[in-house]
Amino acid sequence: MTATRPLLEVRGLTKRYLGLTAVDDVTFEVEVGTVVGLIGPNGSGKSTIVDCVSGFQPADGGRWLLDGRELTGLPAHRIARAGLTRTFQTVRAYDELTLLQNLRVAAQESDGVGWLQSLGRGSRLRAAETSAEARGRDLLSTVGLAEYAEAPAAILSYGQRKLLAIAAGMMARPRLVVLDEPVAGVNPTMIRRIEQVIHQLNAEGVTLLIVEHNVDFIMSLCRRVIVLEAGRKIADGPPSLIRSDPRVLAAYLGQARAAELGHGHR
Amino acid sequence: MTALRGLLVALGVAALFAVPKLTGNEYVLALGVSFATFGVLSGGLNLVYGYTGLLSFAQVGFFGIGGYTAALLVTEQGWSLLAGAAAGGVLAALVGLVIGYSSLRLSRHAFAIVSLSFALLCMIVARDWVSLTRGAMGIPGLPIPSMKLPGGLRWRLSQPADFYYLLLGFAVIAQAAIYLVVTSRLGRAMRAVKLNEPLAQSQGINPLSYKLLAIALSALLAGMVGGFFVFYLTIVDPSIFDFYYTETMLIMVIIGGPGSFWGVLGASAVLAALPDLLRFTTDLRMVLYGAVLIAAMLVFPGGVGGWLQRRRLKRWRRPSLAAP
Repeated sequence: MTATRPLLEVRGLTKRYLGLTAVDDVTFEVEVGTVVGLIGPNGSGKSTIVDCVSGFQPADGGRWLLDGRELTGLPAHRIARAGLTRTFQTVRAYDELTLLQNLRVAAQESDGVGWLQSLGRGSRLRAAETSAEARGRDLLSTVGLAEYAEAPAAILSYGQRKLLAIAAGMMARPRLVVLDEPVAGVNPTMIRRIEQVIHQLNAEGVTLLIVEHNVDFIMSLCRRVIVLEAGRKIADGPPSLIRSDPRVLAAYLGQARAAELGHGHR
Repeated sequence: MTALRGLLVALGVAALFAVPKLTGNEYVLALGVSFATFGVLSGGLNLVYGYTGLLSFAQVGFFGIGGYTAALLVTEQGWSLLAGAAAGGVLAALVGLVIGYSSLRLSRHAFAIVSLSFALLCMIVARDWVSLTRGAMGIPGLPIPSMKLPGGLRWRLSQPADFYYLLLGFAVIAQAAIYLVVTSRLGRAMRAVKLNEPLAQSQGINPLSYKLLAIALSALLAGMVGGFFVFYLTIVDPSIFDFYYTETMLIMVIIGGPGSFWGVLGASAVLAALPDLLRFTTDLRMVLYGAVLIAAMLVFPGGVGGWLQRRRLKRWRRPSLAAP
């Protein structure tokens, strides 16, 4: 294939819960180096897509590939090792571990050091751990948590935990990071902080797929936005087109108000 | 480990090895054997429960399997004690892998239930498979074992001090193995699996393989110590699977603080001696023991290790460092 092959290809993804089709034949792509937004009203299937693509829920149909490599049906840890990491809507951290340990543990499965080498205190292990520590400290500075490197994660505020989760998602140098609602429930100052972090990471070459409720956040951050409604993709394009797309407005506002307004809504 | 702590540990181990030279008191030696044995059992349980987050009632089953295997191989096949105990440990580890692999694919809770059923099943098998285990009477009168030492010497374990040295020596090796694992990044991954399994998975950690590693290592150590311990008792019978062992291990881990190596080791030392130290009042002995346990849970709800962890948290929560 040519160099234009998308980094992530999702083809016909389908997920049903009993009679309900939560995700209905969704197809989309994420190009290398982009920040793509995935939005939609409550229950439109955004989080289900993240869970399926990252291996946390089995899909009922469809395929997905990362850089041409089949990920369909792999368990979550294999998908992560293949280069697709994710964060969680309910922020997760290892509370008892320090921030630096939180990050170092996130890199250890991808540095090629085996179990026996992990028990010995050999040079290969030391090299891997030293570079993980350096990267961990770098990422902590990027997200502005460097001063807490040695503190247990339990002391962090909610927004700080979101930042730690983003940093942890970057540790293993993934090809693609999927952020599941990175700014939900976060105050405006912290939202700007997270936005900067995303910009900076993207500038460093990280590709991101961001699932969000906060439409303004996505519209200002992403140059391409995918919109879901009731498990189906209803729009896919730059924010300017999405804002004026009648189907999107109808999905968010209902038919009547969409006609009155005609622009984005939070 | 800092140099100072390393020195303290070396001194402590040396002091324990010097005990038989200082006192021939068999009672003191019996306490030492009890500490060594329970220390290995609770250390293994701590690895599985404290570090990896799997509540396991199976440890006593591994302990007894090791005991029966070593007793049978030595008495009926003429194996040496060391080979018999090692075989017991390996068999226990394999059994641990089987029950772990089969139940953990469902859930942690499934593992807890299966491990409990397994321990109960062990006792029934030991009692009813008479042709192998000789049933409820067990295998009494285990012979005095001997071990080959380097330099062509043979060590006959005929005195209580000999078993004290054997079990203490094995305990030091076993604790060192546990320490090595929990302080390595394998231990870090186990804690990650315990603290937040989905997050660990999202970072490429395969929870099942770390859980199986913890189970297999703890079963190996429990099985081996069981193999040595039955020769100290000179008998193995179905009571080796008694719930008493499970209860004692659990208390040691909970009081010491699940996930705290030194906490659990210290609690094992104190609690191995406590029921005997309270012997001055035979009537109230177990009542006092219970009172001490309740007091410990009130003062240290997360165990000694949990208390230390909370102090660490407090230091970081000083106002000057409050989150912006």
